[in-house]
Amino acid sequence: MIDATDKKILKEVADLEGLPKGAYNIRKNGKLLGREVSANIKIETNEKGDGIFIDIKPDTKNESVHIPVILSQAGLHDTVYNTFIIGEGADVTIIAGCGIHCGGKESEGHSGIHEFQIKAGAKVKYVEKHIAIGEGSGRRILNPTTKIFMEENAQAEMVLTQLGGVDEAKRYNEAEIGARSVLLITERVMTEGSQMTESKNEISLTGNGSKSNIVSRSVLKGDSKQDFYVNLTARAKCYGHIECDAIIMDNGNNQTIPALRALHPDAELTHEASIGKIANDQLMKLMSLGLTYDEAVNRIIQGFLN
Amino acid sequence: MLQLQNVTFKAPDSKTKDKTLSQKTIVDDVSFTFEPGGFYTITGPNGSGKTSLAKLIMGINELSSGKIMFNGKDISALPINERSNAGVVYGFQHPARFKGTNFRDLLSISAGTDDEDTLARIIARVGVCSMDFLDKPVDGKLSGGEIKKIELATVIARNPKVAIYDEPDTGIDLWTIGPMVDLLKREQKENNTTTIVVSHNKAFLETADTLLLILNGKIAYSGNLKGAIPMLEDLSVCTFSKSCQGENDDRCYR
Ligand SMILES: Nc1ncnc2c1ncn2[C@@H]1O[C@H](COP(=O)(O)OP(=O)(O)O)[C@@H](O)[C@H]1O
Ligand SMILES: [Mg+2]
Repeated sequence: MIDATDKKILKEVADLEGLPKGAYNIRKNGKLLGREVSANIKIETNEKGDGIFIDIKPDTKNESVHIPVILSQAGLHDTVYNTFIIGEGADVTIIAGCGIHCGGKESEGHSGIHEFQIKAGAKVKYVEKHIAIGEGSGRRILNPTTKIFMEENAQAEMVLTQLGGVDEAKRYNEAEIGARSVLLITERVMTEGSQMTESKNEISLTGNGSKSNIVSRSVLKGDSKQDFYVNLTARAKCYGHIECDAIIMDNGNNQTIPALRALHPDAELTHEASIGKIANDQLMKLMSLGLTYDEAVNRIIQGFLN
Repeated sequence: MLQLQNVTFKAPDSKTKDKTLSQKTIVDDVSFTFEPGGFYTITGPNGSGKTSLAKLIMGINELSSGKIMFNGKDISALPINERSNAGVVYGFQHPARFKGTNFRDLLSISAGTDDEDTLARIIARVGVCSMDFLDKPVDGKLSGGEIKKIELATVIARNPKVAIYDEPDTGIDLWTIGPMVDLLKREQKENNTTTIVVSHNKAFLETADTLLLILNGKIAYSGNLKGAIPMLEDLSVCTFSKSCQGENDDRCYR
């Protein structure tokens, strides 16, 4: 059953007030809590029983799939393998995310391994939010892995967000982008206290005319630590860009390591990276419009992570 | 009434090694009174201290000595936002660029509301930027002219009593300068806004009731344009004369 904590988590990670419309699969503490399929979207437990298999029919339009995960059992470390097949010409939104409620001393964790096979001409938006709440002192650990295989003329937008609460996160994103396909990844991470995150990205522009834009926005509060790595490899005539910005608020510690690799003479790869305190000219501007120092800081961070 | 009393701004001289010892005076003992509803144009060579003076008034630069009085109240120690709330607003020469903030956000902060109709009215009043500007990110991709128009609009949206525009015309196309001058004049007349424009533009020099010429951190002249002309012409004379080998020579230093 869905209790008050579950509701709160569902609201936070998937913006759900109740059960979602359309297809969904809700997992709680390693078990299935609810599932709904649609005429075009099939969801099945995989053969090994350690995840789900989501099959979206070709040309499915304007449908969404919600696959939130709730974790509220002390000591549980849940690992799932989910596979998504997005059929040719489909246009869908996938809302994923994991919310941990930690009530005790023991750590809780979730590792979601998501594999996407995006067929020719398909378009997918994948929104993933990670949160952790609760009064418990146990560590909250989230280690998501995303593997993306794009055929030709496909488009994928991945929006990956983790705004506080998570003590430890190790993310790994891997992508292979086919001819004329476009992959956009936006990662937004806010850490505080002694939290730490690591994000590793291996992106390969494989097909002619493929494109990728990888954006990382980091805010570090307290003594937190964030490391961000991207290897963007071009194996064809393609275009790739990496943009990573980190704002250090207090005593945070950040590493940003973007790498560009052109294995093709017609590759065009660029990157921009910055690490620094909140920009003074932005603060001065907002204060000159009447905001207090703290209000100005909040507005800048809010916008930056939005 | 905005009164500057012996306003001085010193900063560490970057040219010398020991920063604690050597200070450079950037604004040097400036005293001046801006009357309510007056139109002032501040001009002077690059680096003479115009922006520094404007930032002292806004509270972005901290006074080294002197006092700033606004309507009888000493505002010298007030933080930027409180000066803004009191009615003093500064439009930056080099406006900040953000990531994840659009014009609508800035305008809403300035106007204190995100009501669409109110924002539309402000945009109509400002004139120089269109409605489709609203959702433009105020980031590095904006052109120099676009960001200056946005800057101007955010100042006007606050309904300032004293508005200071720091080179509002740089990067602005020829066709917008006229409307911009008219706009600031209209704001001055209709709202009795004390208007202070830092500019080298003839249009602003001619519009001002009072012209201030700043040289080396001091007010070298204040008065009407006519009286300033000899000094302005003097300044336009080449200062490289000692090393000059003639203007048509390829070794002209200008
Ligand atoms: N905070 C500061 N620290 C050191 N030098 C400064 C500072 N602010 C301004 N200056 C210097 O003071 C001089 C005047 O600058 P500014 O007021 O920007 O001139 P203007 O606006 O008239 O072109 C310049 O030489 C500038 O480099
Ligand atoms: Mg200046």
